[in-house]
Amino acid sequence: MTLSSTISWSILILLTIFAFIFGGFELGNMTIVSIILLSTIIKSQIVIDYFMGLHQVRWQWRIILYSWLLLVVGMIGLAYWLGLQ
Amino acid sequence: METTISIYPKNLPGDFAIWIFIFAELLVFGIFFIAYAFARSYNVELFNTSQATLIQEFGAINTIVLITSSYFVVQAVAAIKNNKDQICVNWLGAALFMGAIFLFVKIIEFHEKISAGISMSTNLFYMFYLSLTFFHFMHVILGMIILAAILLKARQGGYSATNHTGVETGASYWHMVDLIWIILFPLVYIIH
Repeated sequence: MTLSSTISWSILILLTIFAFIFGGFELGNMTIVSIILLSTIIKSQIVIDYFMGLHQVRWQWRIILYSWLLLVVGMIGLAYWLGLQ
Repeated sequence: METTISIYPKNLPGDFAIWIFIFAELLVFGIFFIAYAFARSYNVELFNTSQATLIQEFGAINTIVLITSSYFVVQAVAAIKNNKDQICVNWLGAALFMGAIFLFVKIIEFHEKISAGISMSTNLFYMFYLSLTFFHFMHVILGMIILAAILLKARQGGYSATNHTGVETGASYWHMVDLIWIILFPLVYIIH
């Protein structure tokens, strides 16, 4: 699936507003953190694929960025989960 | 005439050297983000109390500003690929303007914290907050210098539909700056 740059931009703005509003809820639990981190992964994937234009490049290059993204956000999620223990 | 369609995907956009730089930068910021998150897991109350003093609206505005500037850079690349160098210049100018707004908002934010007597030695949260956001701030300045250099060359007709590697190189760096902020914003301003 390919997204036009304008649709990509619109989704990024909507997800930013969503994270801002959702993060304001005083529900400091792992569900809230997970949803915000998931929206961050979606936003990052849109920037990588459709702004950087990597949806058309060899998978060997894309996998570097995807691995970085999933590792960093996954470790952030793990650290927040540990903080709740 | 028969048209052949390559089954092989493209290489990375822009100069390959910038991608080495981008991967190195992402590695550094990634380590920084993970260090922040684990430091927080041992100091949850301190981090939550200090984080509550941040103005989240500033972070949200700057996220929208950077995403929009990235969108303008995408349009600049599309314009030069269609040989429309003046339109490319206009989009790059718009992206630079958004970059300037980002810096302005960050300067207000830094000034507000410094005026309140907050420094990197105040506590662990502020050490991370100030160093992470200032490090990113410097990357925005570098990105703007790169975009300005590309804009000047584009204005002189230095790029075309067949010669636009420089525009793609600068664009890739600018999108990296955006990508880093997209993770930094929820990490430092939102999740608690």
